[in-house]
Amino acid sequence: MRIFYQTYGTAKKKFSNFLNRFFKKKRTRIGIYGPPNAGKTTLANRIARDWTGDAVGPVSEIPHETRRARKKEDIIISGANGSTITMDIVDTPGVTTKIDYHEFLEFGMEKDEAIIRAREATEGVAEAMHWLREDIDGVIYMLDSSLDPFMQVNIMMIGIIESRKLPVIIIANKIDLPDAVPARIRSAFPQHPVVAISGLDGRNVETLYETMLEYFG
Amino acid sequence: MNNMPHKCTKCGREYKDGSTEILKGCASCGGKKFLYVKETELNRDVLEEKSIDDIAQESREEILVISEPKTKQEVQMYDRVETIRIVAPGTYELNIEKMAQSDERIVSVGKEGSYIVDLMSMAKDEPKKKKGKRT
Repeated sequence: MRIFYQTYGTAKKKFSNFLNRFFKKKRTRIGIYGPPNAGKTTLANRIARDWTGDAVGPVSEIPHETRRARKKEDIIISGANGSTITMDIVDTPGVTTKIDYHEFLEFGMEKDEAIIRAREATEGVAEAMHWLREDIDGVIYMLDSSLDPFMQVNIMMIGIIESRKLPVIIIANKIDLPDAVPARIRSAFPQHPVVAISGLDGRNVETLYETMLEYFG
Repeated sequence: MNNMPHKCTKCGREYKDGSTEILKGCASCGGKKFLYVKETELNRDVLEEKSIDDIAQESREEILVISEPKTKQEVQMYDRVETIRIVAPGTYELNIEKMAQSDERIVSVGKEGSYIVDLMSMAKDEPKKKKGKRT
Protein backbone atom coordinates (compact mmCIF):
# COMPACT_ATOMS: atom_id res chain seq x y z
CA MET A 1 0.00 0.00 0.00
CA ARG A 2 2.82 2.31 0.95
CA ILE A 3 4.55 1.62 -2.34
CA PHE A 4 1.34 2.40 -4.19
CA TYR A 5 1.08 5.79 -2.51
CA GLN A 6 4.74 6.52 -3.16
CA THR A 7 4.38 5.64 -6.83
CA TYR A 8 1.22 7.70 -6.99
CA GLY A 9 2.99 10.59 -5.26
CA THR A 10 5.94 10.42 -7.64
CA ALA A 11 3.65 10.35 -10.66
CA LYS A 12 1.71 13.30 -9.30
CA LYS A 13 4.90 15.24 -8.71
CA LYS A 14 6.20 14.47 -12.18
CA PHE A 15 2.92 15.59 -13.69
CA SER A 16 2.92 18.84 -11.79
CA ASN A 17 6.58 19.41 -12.74
CA PHE A 18 5.56 18.89 -16.35
CA LEU A 19 2.72 21.38 -16.03
CA ASN A 20 5.01 23.90 -14.37
CA ARG A 21 7.53 23.56 -17.15
CA PHE A 22 4.80 23.88 -19.74
CA PHE A 23 3.54 27.13 -18.29
CA LYS A 24 7.10 28.29 -17.58
CA LYS A 25 6.18 29.11 -14.07
CA LYS A 26 9.21 30.32 -12.19
CA ARG A 27 9.05 29.33 -8.61
CA THR A 28 11.74 29.31 -5.99
CA ARG A 29 11.55 26.88 -3.14
CA ILE A 30 12.96 28.32 0.05
CA GLY A 31 13.64 26.08 3.04
CA ILE A 32 13.67 27.52 6.53
CA TYR A 33 16.29 25.56 8.46
CA GLY A 34 17.87 25.90 11.87
CA PRO A 35 18.16 24.28 15.29
CA PRO A 36 15.00 23.52 17.30
CA ASN A 37 13.28 26.51 18.90
CA ALA A 38 15.00 29.12 16.72
CA GLY A 39 11.61 30.44 15.58
CA LYS A 40 11.33 28.84 12.15
CA THR A 41 7.56 28.28 12.27
CA THR A 42 6.98 31.73 13.76
CA LEU A 43 8.78 33.24 10.77
CA ALA A 44 7.05 30.93 8.27
CA ASN A 45 3.72 31.99 9.75
CA ARG A 46 4.69 35.65 9.57
CA ILE A 47 5.76 35.41 5.93
CA ALA A 48 2.59 33.49 5.04
CA ARG A 49 0.36 35.93 6.96
CA ASP A 50 2.06 39.02 5.53
CA TRP A 51 1.72 37.87 1.92
CA THR A 52 -1.19 35.43 1.80
CA GLY A 53 -3.15 35.87 5.02
CA ASP A 54 -2.78 32.21 6.09
CA ALA A 55 -0.65 30.48 8.67
CA VAL A 56 1.69 27.51 8.20
CA GLY A 57 1.62 25.65 11.48
CA PRO A 58 1.36 25.74 15.26
CA VAL A 59 4.12 27.19 17.44
CA SER A 60 5.22 26.15 20.92
CA GLU A 61 8.01 26.71 23.40
CA ILE A 62 8.66 22.95 23.57
CA PRO A 63 11.40 22.00 21.09
CA HIS A 64 10.45 19.91 18.05
CA GLU A 65 6.91 21.24 17.73
CA THR A 66 7.32 20.97 13.96
CA ARG A 67 8.03 17.33 13.18
CA ARG A 68 6.97 17.21 9.55
CA ALA A 69 8.14 19.64 6.90
CA ARG A 70 5.27 21.97 6.00
CA LYS A 71 5.00 23.78 2.74
CA LYS A 72 3.21 26.98 1.85
CA GLU A 73 3.05 27.45 -1.89
CA ASP A 74 2.88 30.43 -4.19
CA ILE A 75 3.85 33.19 -1.83
CA ILE A 76 4.47 36.31 -3.87
CA ILE A 77 6.80 38.78 -2.22
CA SER A 78 7.19 42.23 -3.70
CA GLY A 79 9.83 44.78 -2.91
CA ALA A 80 9.97 48.55 -2.68
CA ASN A 81 11.29 48.83 -6.25
CA GLY A 82 8.40 46.78 -7.64
CA SER A 83 10.33 43.52 -8.16
CA THR A 84 8.55 40.32 -7.15
CA ILE A 85 9.34 36.66 -6.61
CA THR A 86 7.03 33.70 -6.30
CA MET A 87 8.21 31.21 -3.75
CA ASP A 88 7.23 28.15 -1.84
CA ILE A 89 8.22 28.32 1.78
CA VAL A 90 9.15 25.03 3.42
CA ASP A 91 9.11 25.12 7.20
CA THR A 92 11.32 22.26 8.40
CA PRO A 93 11.73 20.42 11.70
CA GLY A 94 14.65 21.67 13.81
CA VAL A 95 17.88 19.95 12.89
CA THR A 96 19.94 18.60 15.74
CA THR A 97 22.43 15.81 16.36
CA LYS A 98 20.75 14.37 19.43
CA ILE A 99 17.12 13.93 20.38
CA ASP A 100 16.31 12.66 23.85
CA TYR A 101 12.77 12.33 25.14
CA HIS A 102 13.90 13.32 28.67
CA GLU A 103 14.14 16.87 27.35
CA PHE A 104 10.37 16.93 26.82
CA LEU A 105 9.58 15.59 30.29
CA GLU A 106 10.76 18.91 31.71
CA PHE A 107 7.84 20.54 29.94
CA GLY A 108 5.43 18.34 31.87
CA MET A 109 4.92 15.82 29.08
CA GLU A 110 4.08 12.18 29.86
CA LYS A 111 6.82 9.63 29.15
CA ASP A 112 4.93 7.80 26.38
CA GLU A 113 4.03 11.04 24.66
CA ALA A 114 7.61 12.29 24.98
CA ILE A 115 9.03 9.11 23.40
CA ILE A 116 6.63 9.43 20.47
CA ARG A 117 7.61 13.07 20.09
CA ALA A 118 11.30 12.11 20.05
CA ARG A 119 10.69 9.46 17.41
CA GLU A 120 8.69 11.81 15.24
CA ALA A 121 11.30 14.52 15.65
CA THR A 122 14.01 12.08 14.50
CA GLU A 123 11.99 11.24 11.41
CA GLY A 124 11.45 14.96 10.92
CA VAL A 125 15.18 15.67 10.84
CA ALA A 126 15.68 12.91 8.27
CA GLU A 127 12.88 14.45 6.23
CA ALA A 128 14.33 17.96 6.49
CA MET A 129 17.70 16.68 5.27
CA HIS A 130 15.98 14.87 2.43
CA TRP A 131 14.33 18.12 1.32
CA LEU A 132 17.68 19.85 1.42
CA ARG A 133 19.13 17.23 -0.92
CA GLU A 134 16.35 17.30 -3.45
CA ASP A 135 13.96 20.17 -3.53
CA ILE A 136 15.39 23.35 -2.11
CA ASP A 137 16.63 26.32 -4.16
CA GLY A 138 17.57 28.62 -1.30
CA VAL A 139 17.89 28.51 2.47
CA ILE A 140 16.89 30.78 5.30
CA TYR A 141 18.97 29.64 8.27
CA MET A 142 17.39 30.71 11.55
CA LEU A 143 19.37 31.29 14.72
CA ASP A 144 18.36 32.50 18.15
CA SER A 145 20.42 35.68 18.80
CA SER A 146 20.41 35.04 22.53
CA LEU A 147 22.32 31.77 22.08
CA ASP A 148 25.87 30.88 21.04
CA PRO A 149 25.94 30.58 17.24
CA PHE A 150 29.04 28.35 17.29
CA MET A 151 27.10 25.18 17.95
CA GLN A 152 28.40 22.16 16.10
CA VAL A 153 25.10 21.63 14.31
CA ASN A 154 25.10 25.18 12.91
CA ILE A 155 28.64 24.93 11.59
CA MET A 156 27.80 21.55 10.02
CA MET A 157 24.54 22.72 8.47
CA ILE A 158 26.04 25.90 7.00
CA GLY A 159 28.85 23.72 5.60
CA ILE A 160 26.36 21.33 4.02
CA ILE A 161 24.34 24.22 2.54
CA GLU A 162 27.53 25.80 1.16
CA SER A 163 28.66 22.50 -0.35
CA ARG A 164 25.34 22.32 -2.21
CA LYS A 165 25.98 25.86 -3.49
CA LEU A 166 22.60 27.06 -2.28
CA PRO A 167 22.10 30.77 -1.60
CA VAL A 168 21.61 31.31 2.12
CA ILE A 169 20.37 34.15 4.30
CA ILE A 170 21.14 33.82 7.99
CA ILE A 171 18.59 35.24 10.38
CA ALA A 172 19.54 36.49 13.82
CA ASN A 173 16.10 36.00 15.33
CA LYS A 174 14.57 36.96 18.67
CA ILE A 175 16.10 40.46 18.82
CA ASP A 176 13.17 41.31 21.09
CA LEU A 177 14.91 39.34 23.86
CA PRO A 178 17.00 41.47 26.27
CA ASP A 179 20.08 39.22 25.96
CA ALA A 180 20.03 39.03 22.16
CA VAL A 181 23.44 39.65 20.54
CA PRO A 182 22.90 39.56 16.74
CA ALA A 183 26.46 40.88 16.21
CA ARG A 184 27.78 37.54 17.47
CA ILE A 185 25.99 35.78 14.60
CA ARG A 186 27.34 38.33 12.10
CA SER A 187 30.89 37.66 13.20
CA ALA A 188 30.32 33.89 13.19
CA PHE A 189 29.19 33.80 9.55
CA PRO A 190 30.77 36.80 7.80
CA GLN A 191 30.54 35.04 4.41
CA HIS A 192 26.72 35.25 4.33
CA PRO A 193 24.13 38.00 4.64
CA VAL A 194 22.80 38.19 8.20
CA VAL A 195 19.48 39.90 8.95
CA ALA A 196 18.51 40.62 12.55
CA ILE A 197 14.76 40.34 13.10
CA SER A 198 12.10 39.50 15.62
CA GLY A 199 9.76 36.96 14.08
CA LEU A 200 7.51 37.44 17.09
CA ASP A 201 6.88 41.21 16.93
CA GLY A 202 7.83 41.65 13.27
CA ARG A 203 10.74 43.99 13.88
CA ASN A 204 12.91 44.43 10.75
CA VAL A 205 11.11 41.78 8.65
CA GLU A 206 10.88 44.34 5.80
CA THR A 207 14.66 44.21 5.56
CA LEU A 208 14.44 40.43 5.39
CA TYR A 209 11.95 40.60 2.48
CA GLU A 210 14.25 42.97 0.60
CA THR A 211 17.21 40.66 1.24
CA MET A 212 15.17 37.67 0.04
CA LEU A 213 14.34 39.50 -3.20
CA GLU A 214 17.99 40.30 -3.66
CA TYR A 215 19.37 36.82 -2.95
CA PHE A 216 16.61 34.47 -4.06
CA GLY A 217 15.10 36.50 -6.90
CA MET B 1 51.64 -20.29 36.33
CA ASN B 2 54.83 -18.35 35.99
CA ASN B 3 54.76 -14.87 37.24
CA MET B 4 55.56 -12.73 34.21
CA PRO B 5 56.08 -9.06 34.86
CA HIS B 6 56.29 -6.69 31.94
CA LYS B 7 58.79 -4.04 31.20
CA CYS B 8 58.44 -0.82 29.27
CA THR B 9 60.50 -1.18 26.10
CA LYS B 10 61.41 2.50 26.19
CA CYS B 11 62.64 3.09 29.72
CA GLY B 12 62.69 -0.38 31.24
CA ARG B 13 60.31 0.34 34.10
CA GLU B 14 58.85 -2.86 35.55
CA TYR B 15 55.18 -3.58 36.07
CA LYS B 16 53.67 -6.52 37.93
CA ASP B 17 51.90 -9.21 35.95
CA GLY B 18 48.33 -8.27 35.21
CA SER B 19 48.85 -4.67 36.15
CA THR B 20 46.12 -2.48 34.71
CA GLU B 21 48.40 0.52 35.13
CA ILE B 22 50.08 -0.11 31.80
CA LEU B 23 46.81 0.35 29.92
CA LYS B 24 47.34 4.09 30.24
CA GLY B 25 50.92 3.80 29.00
CA CYS B 26 54.13 3.80 31.01
CA ALA B 27 53.88 6.02 34.07
CA SER B 28 57.51 7.10 33.74
CA CYS B 29 57.99 7.80 30.05
CA GLY B 30 54.53 7.43 28.52
CA GLY B 31 55.70 4.52 26.36
CA LYS B 32 53.03 2.33 24.83
CA LYS B 33 55.02 -0.86 24.24
CA PHE B 34 55.65 -3.50 26.88
CA LEU B 35 57.41 -6.84 26.95
CA TYR B 36 56.71 -9.87 29.09
CA VAL B 37 59.92 -10.85 30.84
CA LYS B 38 60.62 -13.95 32.92
CA GLU B 39 61.13 -13.02 36.52
CA THR B 40 64.61 -14.55 36.48
CA GLU B 41 65.55 -12.41 33.52
CA LEU B 42 64.04 -9.25 34.87
CA ASN B 43 67.33 -7.39 35.08
CA ARG B 44 68.97 -8.88 32.02
CA ASP B 45 68.68 -5.69 30.06
CA VAL B 46 70.75 -3.79 32.62
CA LEU B 47 73.22 -6.58 33.39
CA GLU B 48 73.90 -7.44 29.76
CA GLU B 49 73.52 -3.88 28.48
CA LYS B 50 70.87 -4.88 25.99
CA SER B 51 67.81 -2.99 24.87
CA ILE B 52 64.41 -4.45 25.62
CA ASP B 53 63.92 -4.89 21.88
CA ASP B 54 67.00 -7.14 21.75
CA ILE B 55 65.63 -9.22 24.60
CA ALA B 56 62.30 -9.42 22.86
CA GLN B 57 64.00 -10.82 19.79
CA GLU B 58 65.95 -13.35 21.85
CA SER B 59 63.01 -14.51 23.92
CA ARG B 60 60.62 -14.39 20.93
CA GLU B 61 58.04 -12.89 23.22
CA GLU B 62 55.64 -10.56 21.53
CA ILE B 63 55.74 -6.90 22.47
CA LEU B 64 52.47 -5.74 23.85
CA VAL B 65 51.29 -2.50 22.30
CA ILE B 66 48.72 -0.42 24.12
CA SER B 67 46.32 1.09 21.65
CA GLU B 68 45.10 4.55 22.41
CA PRO B 69 41.42 4.79 23.19
CA LYS B 70 39.52 6.80 20.60
CA THR B 71 38.01 9.97 21.91
CA LYS B 72 34.24 10.15 22.06
CA GLN B 73 34.11 13.11 19.71
CA GLU B 74 35.90 11.19 16.96
CA VAL B 75 33.59 8.25 17.33
CA GLN B 76 30.55 10.50 17.06
CA MET B 77 31.76 12.39 14.05
CA TYR B 78 33.67 10.03 11.85
CA ASP B 79 33.42 6.43 12.90
CA ARG B 80 29.69 6.18 12.79
CA VAL B 81 28.26 5.04 9.52
CA GLU B 82 24.64 5.02 10.55
CA THR B 83 22.47 8.02 9.87
CA ILE B 84 20.50 7.41 13.04
CA ARG B 85 21.83 5.65 16.09
CA ILE B 86 19.19 4.49 18.50
CA VAL B 87 20.67 4.88 21.96
CA ALA B 88 17.45 3.81 23.69
CA PRO B 89 13.78 4.10 22.79
CA GLY B 90 13.14 7.82 22.60
CA THR B 91 16.85 8.71 22.51
CA TYR B 92 18.51 9.10 19.16
CA GLU B 93 21.80 10.35 17.80
CA LEU B 94 21.56 11.79 14.34
CA ASN B 95 24.38 12.04 11.85
CA ILE B 96 23.21 14.96 9.76
CA GLU B 97 26.32 15.03 7.58
CA LYS B 98 25.67 11.43 6.65
CA MET B 99 22.01 12.25 6.04
CA ALA B 100 23.04 15.05 3.69
CA GLN B 101 25.24 12.69 1.68
CA SER B 102 23.48 9.37 1.61
CA ASP B 103 20.85 8.46 -0.91
CA GLU B 104 18.68 6.63 1.55
CA ARG B 105 15.58 8.25 2.83
CA ILE B 106 14.33 7.34 6.23
CA VAL B 107 10.57 7.37 6.33
CA SER B 108 9.90 6.12 9.81
CA VAL B 109 11.65 5.12 12.98
CA GLY B 110 10.06 1.95 14.32
CA LYS B 111 8.98 1.33 17.88
CA GLU B 112 11.39 -1.51 18.48
CA GLY B 113 14.40 0.58 17.65
CA SER B 114 14.43 -0.09 13.94
CA TYR B 115 14.02 2.28 11.10
CA ILE B 116 12.50 1.94 7.68
CA VAL B 117 14.37 3.20 4.70
CA ASP B 118 12.59 4.31 1.57
CA LEU B 119 14.17 2.22 -1.16
CA MET B 120 12.23 3.88 -3.93
CA SER B 121 13.94 7.21 -3.42
CA MET B 122 17.35 5.54 -3.40
CA ALA B 123 16.80 4.32 -6.93
CA LYS B 124 15.93 7.76 -8.15
CA ASP B 125 18.33 9.83 -10.23
CA GLU B 126 20.12 12.82 -8.81
CA PRO B 127 17.90 15.84 -9.31
CA LYS B 128 19.21 18.40 -11.75
CA LYS B 129 19.83 21.65 -9.96
CA LYS B 130 19.28 24.83 -11.85
CA LYS B 131 22.49 26.37 -13.04
CA GLY B 132 23.67 29.93 -13.03
CA LYS B 133 22.18 30.70 -9.68
CA ARG B 134 23.34 33.70 -7.79
CA THR B 135 25.08 32.94 -4.56
